[in-house]
Amino acid sequence: MSLLRCVAGVIALARPINNASTIQTQRHFKRWVSPTLRELAHRVKKQGPQKPEPRSGFVEWNYRSELFAFGKRLNEEFQLPLLQTAFTQRTYAHQEQERQRMLGIAEADLQTADNSQLAAKGAHIAKAYVEAYLQHALPKVPSAGHQAIASYLLGTETLAHVSTHLGTKELIFSTEYPPSSETLAQTLQAIIGALADSSGVERAFLFVRDFICTQLNQKDLLEIWTPEQPLQLLSEVCTERQLGEPEPRLLGDCGKNTVLAAFQVGIYANRQLLGKGFGENVQTATETAAIDALQTVFEMHENRRPFDFRMQLEAKNVKLG
Amino acid sequence: MSNSHLFLKSGFPRAPLQNGLGRYVCQLQRLTLKFCKNNGSSRGMRDFIENHLVDFAKENPGIVVYVKPRRHRTPVLVGEYLNGDREWLSCRNSTQAEITKWIELLKTQNGSSSSLRLRKMWHTDVPSIQGPWTPFLLRSPDAHSQTYPSTEASQPFDVPQTATEKLIELFKQQKLEAGADGVDVLEQKRAE
Repeated sequence: MSLLRCVAGVIALARPINNASTIQTQRHFKRWVSPTLRELAHRVKKQGPQKPEPRSGFVEWNYRSELFAFGKRLNEEFQLPLLQTAFTQRTYAHQEQERQRMLGIAEADLQTADNSQLAAKGAHIAKAYVEAYLQHALPKVPSAGHQAIASYLLGTETLAHVSTHLGTKELIFSTEYPPSSETLAQTLQAIIGALADSSGVERAFLFVRDFICTQLNQKDLLEIWTPEQPLQLLSEVCTERQLGEPEPRLLGDCGKNTVLAAFQVGIYANRQLLGKGFGENVQTATETAAIDALQTVFEMHENRRPFDFRMQLEAKNVKLG
Repeated sequence: MSNSHLFLKSGFPRAPLQNGLGRYVCQLQRLTLKFCKNNGSSRGMRDFIENHLVDFAKENPGIVVYVKPRRHRTPVLVGEYLNGDREWLSCRNSTQAEITKWIELLKTQNGSSSSLRLRKMWHTDVPSIQGPWTPFLLRSPDAHSQTYPSTEASQPFDVPQTATEKLIELFKQQKLEAGADGVDVLEQKRAE
């Protein structure tokens, strides 16, 4: 293509200059335009869907400005070199080193930092803060529940979702484009680590609260964590909290011995109704009722008070270990 | 709905990434101003770049601004959003004030609003607060102590009064109104 352009340029230059004044304006499309475009479209279709182009390949792209704006957008102060390190994947760093070696650059200069250390640090901070936050926001939920919710929040899927919506996709130095969700998640952890190094652990904690903990908003906690064998768990919890022995009782039934049978079971402990549930047979109804009772006991019903995302946990409550 | 809307994406108004719950993040991440240096249609864009662009960039450090001169082409505003949307706006013959307003719009929206048809002006993740319906929902407490089969429960809700019942009722009312004398009158009538 560039060769063609060169030839065209040369021909244009070779033309006499006084020709320019007598150029006729075109009033029609040339006959070759339509078939050419059709042929091009045909070839594009034949090649199949193409991979998306990275934004960094465009003319209007300035990595330094993008990095600066990334920090400013999130209202955080980053040290730009640290931030750039946080965006560099290990595979990409290796690739760069290989390329430099191929070009014959001396070994001493081959110090391309990658984000694995920052990611490890960030993951540690995020885990500590999320656990402390859950401890504070859901004080009555047992540790199994806390673990399940924390692993949902710190899982690759959630972290990658947060990461893409913070605009890391274009900034990541990675061997593949678009970056995989593992890469996106690791980068987010590395950003948290870089933030802790740049402006202190407190800011990193607030970052985790504002972008990761807020993902819990309007989520059904039962979807994230459903206790297995709820009746057994309920009896354990009841003996632990001295609520009395839980006892399932049939509250009502409807359409027995039909296809559309429905049973309602209530769970009582110490003559108090803890929760009720229904199902197509007594066993399912009892399990649903037990889950309902557990939700009441753990205070994680869907109509609970919404999470408070403005509270600031004191740093001493977060176990960084 | 016009024909041009058929391929338009539709959706609900949503805040991406629970924006504003923890802290607010401006969703416009990049703004590209394309213009021509001597074409008349780019005049407003050139005025904007000369007078306001530096102030805009200083006020919004989170938005990367690119300026791209190109010869004899229409001035264009391109906004890129954090959710991956890209909004293209032609600013042909727009004045500086108009461009300021368009940029303000790009800055304050979540994504490319012109490429989304809103199905409703509101949205909720939890449409039902009651949960699924069961036969036990809102049931009268009497139903618990009912033993079946029971005649009361087997009757229809509205049994109309028969003519005989109405006559008996009228007769009793008359008797009440007449009082003690009425009884005598009745006795007399029966005797006759």
